Amino acid sequence: MRIGIDIGGTHTDGVLIDGTRLVAAAKTPTNHDNLLESISQVLHSILATQDPTSVQTLNLSTTLSTNAIVTGKIDAVGMLVVGGPGIAPETYRIGNHFHLISGSLDHLGTPTSELDEEELEEAINSCCDQGVTCFAVASKFSPRNPVFEDRMLEQLRERADFVSSGHLISGQLNFGRRIHTAYYNSAVNRTFRSFSTALSASLKGFALQAEVNILKADGGTMPLTRALETPVQSIFSGPAASVMGILATTPADTDLLMLDIGGTTSDIALFASGQPLLEREGIAIDGHHTLVRAIRVESIGIGGDSLISIDANGVQTGPQRLGPCMATGGSAPTLMDALNVLDLADFGSVQRSREGMEELASKHDLSPHQLAQDAVDAALSAISGKIKALIAQVNAKPVYTIQEILEDREIAPKKIIVIGGPASVFKKLLQDRLNMEVIIPPLHGVANAIGAALTRSTSHLSLSANTARRQLSVPMLGIFRTIPRDFNLDAAIEEAQSLLAADLKQAGILIPPDEMQITQADSFNMVEGSYTSGKNIRVVAQVQPAVVAQLDASAAEISITGQP
Amino acid sequence: MLKAQSSLGVIFFPAYDWAISPTHPEREERLLYTQDQFREEGLFDIDGISEYRPLFATDQDIMRAHFCFPSVDHICTESHRISAGGAIQAARLVLEEETKRAFALVRPPGHHAMKVVHGNRGFCNINIEAVMIEWIREHYGRKRIAIVDTDCHHGDGTQDVYWHDPDVLFISIHQDGRTLYPGSGFPHENGGPRALGRTINIPLPPRTSDEGYLYALENIVLPILADFKPDLVINSAGQDNHYSDPITNMQFSAQGYARLNELLKPDIAVLEGGYSIKGALPYVNLGICLAMAGCDYSAVREPDYNAAALREDPDTMDYIKQMSGHLRDVYFHPERGDFEKQGEYFIRERKVFYDTDGILEKQREELKDCEHCRGLRIIHTSTDRILPCLGVELPIDCCPACEREGYEVFNKKNDAFLVAQMLDQKNKQYRYRPKR
Repeated sequence: MRIGIDIGGTHTDGVLIDGTRLVAAAKTPTNHDNLLESISQVLHSILATQDPTSVQTLNLSTTLSTNAIVTGKIDAVGMLVVGGPGIAPETYRIGNHFHLISGSLDHLGTPTSELDEEELEEAINSCCDQGVTCFAVASKFSPRNPVFEDRMLEQLRERADFVSSGHLISGQLNFGRRIHTAYYNSAVNRTFRSFSTALSASLKGFALQAEVNILKADGGTMPLTRALETPVQSIFSGPAASVMGILATTPADTDLLMLDIGGTTSDIALFASGQPLLEREGIAIDGHHTLVRAIRVESIGIGGDSLISIDANGVQTGPQRLGPCMATGGSAPTLMDALNVLDLADFGSVQRSREGMEELASKHDLSPHQLAQDAVDAALSAISGKIKALIAQVNAKPVYTIQEILEDREIAPKKIIVIGGPASVFKKLLQDRLNMEVIIPPLHGVANAIGAALTRSTSHLSLSANTARRQLSVPMLGIFRTIPRDFNLDAAIEEAQSLLAADLKQAGILIPPDEMQITQADSFNMVEGSYTSGKNIRVVAQVQPAVVAQLDASAAEISITGQP
Repeated sequence: MLKAQSSLGVIFFPAYDWAISPTHPEREERLLYTQDQFREEGLFDIDGISEYRPLFATDQDIMRAHFCFPSVDHICTESHRISAGGAIQAARLVLEEETKRAFALVRPPGHHAMKVVHGNRGFCNINIEAVMIEWIREHYGRKRIAIVDTDCHHGDGTQDVYWHDPDVLFISIHQDGRTLYPGSGFPHENGGPRALGRTINIPLPPRTSDEGYLYALENIVLPILADFKPDLVINSAGQDNHYSDPITNMQFSAQGYARLNELLKPDIAVLEGGYSIKGALPYVNLGICLAMAGCDYSAVREPDYNAAALREDPDTMDYIKQMSGHLRDVYFHPERGDFEKQGEYFIRERKVFYDTDGILEKQREELKDCEHCRGLRIIHTSTDRILPCLGVELPIDCCPACEREGYEVFNKKNDAFLVAQMLDQKNKQYRYRPKR
């Protein structure tokens, strides 16, 4: 059996799944001061009549790291940065202990000026003097050659509790993102570690012996032991859990959209042939771009509690939220109240919705019905505008080969899956507005926890080889070694697959080779003067997000403990 | 986070699956390290700099700019259509005001492709700037356009396409044609009889560096542009003036290129040549993008950059200063060239060699000396490979007499031409004569 828990901003949801059957589900308000308490509560409910020892896997999606970062409750990090020519590294300054150290590599990883050991020593001393014990190191082009990052790591070994090294977190090129990703990884390390310790103790209390995995923003999981090395990968896993929930509850093999309607905002995701689309480089947090792989989720300021207002441009819905809708005791009319007034919903006190709408309408010489209609229209326009823009953006994404231009298929979703509290209310409205089939999957109230329970591990690596220099590098695994001059693309693909498989195996994950995707495989002739000096090979291998099972839809619906 | 002062759209299309031949400078690897540099610098994370994919140039798009013989498909592969489509995308972004400026970082290049095309010259099949400019005029009406060709080689193709067009000012700054392919681009080449002073050639001595190049820009190009007042400025942005370029002899740097674009402020830049793919392109392209977006580029430099060692010698500077006054006059007081005339037609007869494809073209051009319009143009062309072909061009302001005469020539039965193509700018008709 598998357990999935999603700690969200408002609720913590949990499910217990046996094969393809949902056995139990629970919901409880999230206690942000004590996440373990929320976890315990849902575990208590879902394990009430079950044998905990038969649970093999527990997958947890938590807002812990995200909240620590956005609320600034993070540790001081000594950020040591080696830049060099190009965009000024000062641009990426972050935290209170940001140090620039001289030295530079070019795009092939060749050192073009040496690391300044004195500056390094000074920077480390300055951090240590101020009691900093967590560090992060990043150099420009370190995925091509980690020599400077490795040297900084060596100098820190005796003096730091925890060090994040840029090239080990991501093999992708992007210096600014590397700095910020390494920084946040160190900044949340302590918070995540203490949570992990407490979690393990708490699970023992439940007699659970399951392997524990942490959800990542790309919709996959990582073993808890890996999460302790790269806690930053756990940011923004909540929306990803919902997306995986869709995959687990709805057969999806075509292009489709997901809309998760919440109180303040709604999330939109796009699937191409059933596969959720990822952010091109990584997700942003607290205004900083990172290299954390993530499912692309667009947020829009429209939800059940979106405030209705009237200005010079007419009736507006959202993006502000003042409180709940009037139907549940709020002080100003919201989208949910408009739906009540139009008899599209029957939520809370419809009478209070009517009164609120009448009061606002009368101030502007409108009928309450007209105001409600305009408010719903405004919300639908905003949603459909966002969806159209997203599809256009995805279809306009840059490509780099003639073949892709000629063969690229346009993504054109004809179906939209709607989840979240007011999903059913929106069914017909969205159907008419978007001219798409609207599907409301069963158990959408805990789709996120189902997604968490049923998703599997994901991983990726990028390999590059330069046969002229006889170098092979797989930065994220810390592999930089010599290859024969006749190393070629086929050998590189094979190597990437076996290294990825070996790395996953080391983490206790067995994934058949045919489920590993090669997303990039290029080999370029390198020419010096007029002769071919070698090949420049680039391969990216990944295990894409997928669910281990589809939930049996024919099974009887079960009640969700704690659901109002 | 960095923010662009003027928004910039970059159409980055490295064509990773296309080469002229495996070891040709124009090969798959050419923009690989530029992309690495862009990614590592996070260029597209800068607020206001975005990346776009190219459009695809259709037969009509190409036939507005060129006479392609025997057919468009014979001249163009998909790679050329996409490269030209990249330039069109750049123009679309700017003219639709989606971005303030745009840079088409595309390959293969185009500035050696002339009005008539039989094959590849100087790595170019079709002139991607010309296809773009004709696309602009088709969709947005008549415009005054200035093309500043900053490739190290003379932009002889672009010069030829706009030789008779007074709406287009073509300025080429390049290494002196006595020392480099294609061996042309001298000051006396200053436009056809109806477009005198609309072609300006600035040949610079070999080993000119940043100071000399920028002196020519500030003292020749900018004053001319200030007077011409174009609606659009286009930089035909070759990067082979760089000191590390393997096939030229100049000493320009990434800093120089960035400053050039800061001063020139092109609305659109289109990549042309530049084959120092590791030592120059990553830095030059980064510098150009940052300068076009109005971002700080002061720290962009090559690892082996040494300004003092690269500086031109004083004689070179004296020479450039001396010639700049004379070159401004090419625009302000153009001298009339020796135009041969037969009856009411100006005649040009010449041979054009297509170095890449080894084709020799024989061409006769007749331009009517018309009082009412720029004049009908008739081109007879043949090569060592195909029978004579006919091109007929009616200018945008074509008078009824020229229009009538043009169509008579085009439709004439029983002529000796293998193929005939009509390029009618006035009525926007671009077509081949149906085979009989």
